[in-house]
Amino acid sequence: MPTFSDEREFEDGDLIVAEGDTGTEMFVIQSGRVAVTKKADEGEIHLATLERGDFFGEMSLLESLPRSATVRAVGKTRLLAIHSGQLLMKIRRDPTFAFELLQRMSSRIRALDEQLAKRASDDDAGRGPGA
Amino acid sequence: MITSIREERLIVISDMHLGSFFCHPQQALARFFEFACEGGYNICINGDGIDVIHTSVANIVRETSQLLARIRQVMGADTTVYYTIGNHDIILEQYLHTWGSLRLVPFLNVQSGDTRIRIEHGHLYDSFFMNHPELQERMTRATTYLLKLYPPWYHWHRLPRIVKHQATTLPLVGPYFKRRFEPDDGLRIPGQRPAFIRGADELARRGFDVVIFGHTHQAGQYELSGGRTYMNTGSWFRDPHYVTIERGVVTLRPWA
Repeated sequence: MPTFSDEREFEDGDLIVAEGDTGTEMFVIQSGRVAVTKKADEGEIHLATLERGDFFGEMSLLESLPRSATVRAVGKTRLLAIHSGQLLMKIRRDPTFAFELLQRMSSRIRALDEQLAKRASDDDAGRGPGA
Repeated sequence: MITSIREERLIVISDMHLGSFFCHPQQALARFFEFACEGGYNICINGDGIDVIHTSVANIVRETSQLLARIRQVMGADTTVYYTIGNHDIILEQYLHTWGSLRLVPFLNVQSGDTRIRIEHGHLYDSFFMNHPELQERMTRATTYLLKLYPPWYHWHRLPRIVKHQATTLPLVGPYFKRRFEPDDGLRIPGQRPAFIRGADELARRGFDVVIFGHTHQAGQYELSGGRTYMNTGSWFRDPHYVTIERGVVTLRPWA
């Protein structure tokens, strides 16, 4: 059966994408897990562990901007790699993929909004009355 | 909307087409819901629970109210009922929302044990429905009159496809018919277009072990690449089937 995406295997600790790199593909985890980390002043911070069925790398693919985080394999991991042209074919052949992509991004925006609101409220509390 | 769930005991049926002039599953469904409840299963109705074409308002009202009563009864027994939207249900979505705690979803990603399962009605992979929905609806409405005259005709329109598939299994001439009728390397359940298996394969590559569709009214099972499986629960028109998911073990069974 012809496919419009390729499958790649990684061993434990293998670097899949590096923060700051230019990337033109996104990934879906077919099996295994990946760890997402980001550089910060205090070193590298762990953002998330993604599991089978999760996807990552879509921000770089959609915006043609450098990778915003580093991703490494946790154990033996198999990924489906999708380039931008292939993404449209993928959505044509698997339309709910677009739904799930939007669902995931919507949930990230909601989480960021909540963090922003919490930070703003903490800042207000820090200033105190009459500040 | 929650589309990802964890379930250790789930039972899946589809295409009951309640209200249809030609499908009368009420008694069988009553037994089925009882069976699901007694077995401690949660239930997934995988689309087209209600018919909107081969029906009348009186039929829909009578049969859906019976289904609703049954759903309320099983929910009272702590059973969760999921309902994935099929092509017949799209225009009924708001109506189904008023049924209360029915969990209405476009599809379900189910984690059971170590198995990851996708449940979706399957109409998105039906090229005729997707490209010509109005034409398909008109044709289906037109057949209502034929079917009223002679209901078994419903099963006959798939006959040519089934005969073609059977021809590919004949000794000596089978390979010739296979090249002629099934250039997609036999990608089919008899009577079912290969597009559904292609769609299931595309989905399965996203990390699903099993993909379950309805829509085609043709129950069957097909082994996809990489040890993944496609299952179709058929319909309650004839030869009803259901799928059980029990701690990661997924089985297609006929409803006797």
